[in-house]
Amino acid sequence: MIGRPLCLVVDDSRVIRRIAADILRGFGFQVGEAEHGRAAVEFCRRAVPAFVLLDWNMPEMDGITCLRALRSMKLEPRPVVVMCTTENGLTKIREALESGADEYIMKPYDRDVLLAKLEQLGLTEPA
Amino acid sequence: MDDLLQEFLAETTESLAVLDVELVRFEREPADATILGNIFRLMHTIKGTCGFLGLPRLGSVAHAGENILGKFRDGELPVTPQAVSLILKAIDHIRALLAELAAQGCEPPGDDTAVIAEIDGLAAGTAAPEPALPAEDSFPVAAELLAEVARAIEVPSQAAPAEPARAAARAEAPAKTPETKDAPASSIRVNVDVIENLMTLISELVLTRNQLLQMQRSQKDNEFKVPLQRLSHITSDLQDGVTRLRMQPIGNAWNKLPRIVRDLAVETGKKIELVMQGAETELDRQILEMIKDPLTHMVRNSADHGIENPAQRLAAGKPEGGTITLDAYHESGHIFIRIADDGRGLDVNRIRAKAIANGLATETALAAMGEQQILQFIFRPGFSTAEKVTSVSGRGVGMDVVRTNIERIGGTIELSSSAGHGTTVLIKIPLTLAIVSALIVETARQRFAIPQLNIIELVGVSDRSDARIETINTSPVLRLRDRLLPLVSLRGLLGLEPGPGQDRFVVVAQVGANRFGIIVDRVFDAEEIVVKPVAPLLRGTRFYAGNTILGDGSVIMILDPNDLSGAAGQIDTDQAAGAALAASSQVEAQSSFLLFRAGDRELKAIPLELVSRIESLDAASIEHVGGRQVVQYRQHLMPLVPFHDGHAWKANGQQDVLVFSDKDRRMGLAVDEVVDIVRDRMAVELSSSRPGLLGSAVIAGKAADIVDVGHFLGLAFTDWFELSSRRAGIRRALVVDDSAFFRSLVVPLLAAADWQVTTAADGAEALRLREDGQRFDVIISDIEMPNLDGLALASAIRGDARWGGTPLIALSSRDDERDREAGREAGFDDYLAKTDQAGLPDTLARAIRAALAARQANDNLRRAS
Repeated sequence: MIGRPLCLVVDDSRVIRRIAADILRGFGFQVGEAEHGRAAVEFCRRAVPAFVLLDWNMPEMDGITCLRALRSMKLEPRPVVVMCTTENGLTKIREALESGADEYIMKPYDRDVLLAKLEQLGLTEPA
Repeated sequence: MDDLLQEFLAETTESLAVLDVELVRFEREPADATILGNIFRLMHTIKGTCGFLGLPRLGSVAHAGENILGKFRDGELPVTPQAVSLILKAIDHIRALLAELAAQGCEPPGDDTAVIAEIDGLAAGTAAPEPALPAEDSFPVAAELLAEVARAIEVPSQAAPAEPARAAARAEAPAKTPETKDAPASSIRVNVDVIENLMTLISELVLTRNQLLQMQRSQKDNEFKVPLQRLSHITSDLQDGVTRLRMQPIGNAWNKLPRIVRDLAVETGKKIELVMQGAETELDRQILEMIKDPLTHMVRNSADHGIENPAQRLAAGKPEGGTITLDAYHESGHIFIRIADDGRGLDVNRIRAKAIANGLATETALAAMGEQQILQFIFRPGFSTAEKVTSVSGRGVGMDVVRTNIERIGGTIELSSSAGHGTTVLIKIPLTLAIVSALIVETARQRFAIPQLNIIELVGVSDRSDARIETINTSPVLRLRDRLLPLVSLRGLLGLEPGPGQDRFVVVAQVGANRFGIIVDRVFDAEEIVVKPVAPLLRGTRFYAGNTILGDGSVIMILDPNDLSGAAGQIDTDQAAGAALAASSQVEAQSSFLLFRAGDRELKAIPLELVSRIESLDAASIEHVGGRQVVQYRQHLMPLVPFHDGHAWKANGQQDVLVFSDKDRRMGLAVDEVVDIVRDRMAVELSSSRPGLLGSAVIAGKAADIVDVGHFLGLAFTDWFELSSRRAGIRRALVVDDSAFFRSLVVPLLAAADWQVTTAADGAEALRLREDGQRFDVIISDIEMPNLDGLALASAIRGDARWGGTPLIALSSRDDERDREAGREAGFDDYLAKTDQAGLPDTLARAIRAALAARQANDNLRRAS
């Protein structure tokens, strides 16, 4: 076994970070957490995650800015970024995809929804 | 309870606290998009998190709140106080739901439609601009309908996903792995109990370390010495570290205040701004908890009683809105918290009347007191200044409780107020309570601890050396570097067995502005001691701050320098009046006064700090030269000045002389009789037109004339205040100081040196003189003043061409290096300490000379170039 893949949960709510982290650990990921975009960028300077679950609305640096920053860092291997949103407006989703998001997920999500997303992205083998 | 839910409660409670603060800011600056963005995000997060945890009630209220905030953000809805009140109401509703959630572990059944309808009604109100106009009873119905419609149209993000989310949370619980996180967390949350436990353990560790050190000391060098030293260092570091763990920013105790002030302002129709400075100042969690309520109480007081309503303010020539300023900062191991308002100030007459009505003081006693002294009555138990108890501040807690709470944690509270200008309360509290560094002393074979924070120096005294204890009318004093220091004897104070005059050390201590000495038999080491509170049995006794266990296992009492300071110099004064005054004025800055008689039977008083020695000279040694008197004193001729012109110089016997000195110069003031040394506040009623007297005051219950030392200095040395540049013609000086006493001290000094002196009571008054077109050759200003302080004054002066080039000298009672630095930065040319009153005339003269010379040089330079 070559070590479990690393993923990063970015959300300003401790509670949501914990829920997401618990779910992801259950899938066999190592999980890092960041409370806002800036912390996420910092994190990625030190370790490149395979997968980033990125909230939109955060203090310091919001999700979309963070996403653009991550993409401009040209991280290798390129992390898969899933934007979380409660604002399901088409413009928002388009903005996210154009800025380099691979997928988006509606909040609140649960284990099954997240698993489906990850499978769709080829990040987990179907259980 | 599910610890995820615990976490949610903690997080949301924090968010709500921030929301309270931000909303109040937002109401004031509705145009600030950042604040609104922040508010929106917090509400949004609360809503989002509720969705994850399956909390539909909370979620829907938060959603309504977010909805209306979104309308603010998009400019669809104007920001009105009503709208903000409604959001605050929603927050309160959320808080109430959280409380139930915390108590029951799940969201209780219930109905929030009323609140949501109200909010949504307001949100929808924009569509129909005049929603309030239709018949009153129809409005709620319409709003509810609107709300329902709104909810139906919207994607119901709150209710539907709730169930699966709850299931998810539950399903995930067993999937948790005890993996250590790879997350680079910058902070973690720790249970308070864990830290408290750690603190107790550290305390015990410190004790054990001390015990080991003590054992080591009695041994010859052995192999334990080095590791023991290391252990000692590590223990100290550990102790520092754990103490820091308990530190929290004081802002945590302030969070609720903006909301409180805001609600109060709305309720009372006032306009109040709350300015908070130094919120990041850290202090011990335990202390933070203990000052929370007193702080809240005082801010409430300021808002409710202090700040006037807009009409009254405008009538008084003040801006419509009042300001309450909270300011916190570290200084010499203490935290200072200042609560200031620019309201009406305390009503002295009402306090006076109340004090009489409540039997706290007699009319005669009050008549003899100064205003500031009377103000202190509000700290007395059972005293409340509000004539009618309002719902706001009438909560049964008075300022006496505030004071008791502050003093219980080793703090002090000072209050000053000026009618029409506002009230300032200054609280000083220690950084931590748990461990203090203390000096161990012994008297009558009993050991005591004195907190190091209060100790200035130690003086060994003996009858043979220069430093010996003398008595002035049964009050012991020590002559220390040309100053008389009032002393307290532990033996006498604590009723210990009288020793055979074995007092061998004086511990010089300082409390606030008061310096005094404590006479003890022996002095041991300084030790870190763990403060244990005084046992209930001993709580009624004075002079003790607690007890501690020493390294050798013995239990000793910790002395309370606050109490001791009150006793210094006050023993054996008129007991009845003395006790009453001591009780009412303990919190205020006290000074020691020397009482004497000269000329008539009236008592004269002089601040003891100004007197360097009291000598009883042999009258025969006084030489009369050309109508003046001199005496050989310490190998120099010292001029003697009689207190009054008709002084009858005796040919033999003893002549009492008060010696004033400055560097190598001395003068003696001949008086009839030295009476006593007492401690009291400076409260001068300025009324005297007699040269040499500033006015009269009541000191320790006796009426006394306050002596103007400057007058006599001028008589002895015409050049005492000589200044170099006399050719400048009439020179004008401006003295800015809020203390009438100090103005009266400085003015004659300057006048004696041919200065034409103008005075101002604060910076604002000084600037009005500038507006009047007045010009000065030098400006001397205090730092701490109401309305506009010295630093702000200096900045204002330097920022304007009219007075920009005038030499500016600070004269302050605060003079550590930081203060000086701040003074220089603000634009002062020089910074002098008030505390050195005897040296003042000379320093002041020198500073003025230097500042004038520097300005002259600049002028020359400018002219040359």
